[in-house]
Amino acid sequence: MFNSISNNFGAPQIQFKDYQAPNYVVLNGKVTFDPTNAAYQACDQLEITVPDLTIDRSTIGGVFVRFIETQTYSWGDSIYDGGTVLKSWIKDKNTIVVEKQPWFDQNGPLILYFVTMYAQLNQGANTIKGTKQRLTVTTEGNYLRFSSDTFVVVFDHWVFMHLQFSSCSYAYRDSPWEATLEEMPANVTADVPVPGGGNQFHQDCFGMGECHIENKIFTMDRRVMGFWDTGREPFAFAFLVREGEEPEPEPAEE
Amino acid sequence: MIALPSIAFGGFSGSAKGVTARQVAGRSILSLKCYPTGVATGAQLARRASLKKIAKSWVTLTNEQRQEWDRLAEHATGASSLGQKAELSGMNLYVRLNANRVMAGESVLASAPAGQVAVPNVDFTQVVVTPQLIVLGGVKHEPSPNKLVVKMSGNQSAGVSNGWSKTVIITPGMEDDWGEADVTHLYLKTIGVEPVPGQKVFVEAYWLDTATGFAGQTTRTSVIVTGESPYQRRVKATMDNLDPTEESHVSELDVDFSTGAPVAQFDAQCLGHSNVASSEVYLDQPLPSEIIGTGVAIGRSNDNDGHINAQSYLVYMYNRNGKSQLTFAHRGGPYYTHTEVFGTGIIY
Repeated sequence: MFNSISNNFGAPQIQFKDYQAPNYVVLNGKVTFDPTNAAYQACDQLEITVPDLTIDRSTIGGVFVRFIETQTYSWGDSIYDGGTVLKSWIKDKNTIVVEKQPWFDQNGPLILYFVTMYAQLNQGANTIKGTKQRLTVTTEGNYLRFSSDTFVVVFDHWVFMHLQFSSCSYAYRDSPWEATLEEMPANVTADVPVPGGGNQFHQDCFGMGECHIENKIFTMDRRVMGFWDTGREPFAFAFLVREGEEPEPEPAEE
Repeated sequence: MIALPSIAFGGFSGSAKGVTARQVAGRSILSLKCYPTGVATGAQLARRASLKKIAKSWVTLTNEQRQEWDRLAEHATGASSLGQKAELSGMNLYVRLNANRVMAGESVLASAPAGQVAVPNVDFTQVVVTPQLIVLGGVKHEPSPNKLVVKMSGNQSAGVSNGWSKTVIITPGMEDDWGEADVTHLYLKTIGVEPVPGQKVFVEAYWLDTATGFAGQTTRTSVIVTGESPYQRRVKATMDNLDPTEESHVSELDVDFSTGAPVAQFDAQCLGHSNVASSEVYLDQPLPSEIIGTGVAIGRSNDNDGHINAQSYLVYMYNRNGKSQLTFAHRGGPYYTHTEVFGTGIIY
């Protein structure tokens, strides 16, 4: 875990969870900033100054950007949050860069989600394959269902997670969701963006929500109006840092 | 160039019959007009034309700009001759630095750089020259605005010990590709003849600071051309590897498996096809079996209708009949045929 030193787009200090190997870095962090501020408007790309990283440059990774939008009607509030993925890379040992795109400058404040791996190339060895584990998602009464492409690839210090939402029992469509991700290590805690879902007011980027994962429990309270629209396929794509040691399983009763 | 200590020529200056006399720092220097020998390459002709054009543009500078160049020239030194460091005039420096910049594709600087720049030396671990592969490996990366200039000779007899005058610019300024400078195509384009096993090739390399035009020290080496090399090229899938007999549905492709980590690096412009939510890519060679599997990568729509939404893709890899196939299969997010798939992606 480390804190950013400064940035050039008027955001507050960012706290990053990290796993840093000699040839790659996994970072998790979340920050909200106002795109109307002068520093953001003056910069060509978003740069975050950080303490020394293990690598002095990287290839491209994905950082998600999201805006919050609530429309208030006589019958209640409707959610039209949106966003997309931005390119990000490590420029030097002390600088993380995120590409600047003007798409959501009118929709601020904006949230950046770092659920990102930064790798290097020509490392003298090929890609090392991981092992996919299908995620078993359990809810009371099985009200929330995910597709077969919902899985984790677990490593000692981090996890890759891909979620793909499939369906939900009608009675739970507007309720807060809570589910257990059986194969998710308990030492992962993160806010994870959930792109996808229809968004009638933003048909260029469509929807983006956020879920929270902590101690194997998935929760998601706020979802766009068109979350279950056909062909909008809400999903999550995240490299997540594991913190500390995996808790010991409780001893089985004799 | 002849530097004469004799007082007999002291104070002479001017040109006559191809001989020019001038005074530089108390030295009288006679120069014979030089004429290029041999047939000039296109690059040489372009460089000479560029030098002439840059020199002529000196008169377009303001007095202040010329004074800036003169001031910088006082602190910069030129190539040594006869044991004394030659001094540069402001105009010499203007032409020299701008010629370097123009060579690297930059525009002419009217204002002098703020000061002399210490440009790093080129540090590499190996040079491989075979008829099929010409590469500098293990190049210590230097960040922008440094670019690598490589000069090489054609085939020389293995007994030649000094062939530096035979080198020509192979690349006027390239970025190393993660420590690798593959100049195979550039060498063949410039020299026109493949290296011949058993012959010697001379190699010179230096970093060029393209912001100022200052160049670093030249690193020199010579290598005997070999028929084959144990040098292992990175495992990549690029547009150069596409099987021309098959229809691939990408306009850009660069999937790099050289991370030494549990991810590959994806960069593909998928075009889609046939109303199925996928793009197929056919490579003319198989991929190493140890990396064959399924990748997962993020994507972003970039069609002409302005879609910019995030998507996720599974990338299925197969080896069949001595070739390989990658299928970028859409999974998450609204699907649009034109999507850029990029970033680090796990492989399982």
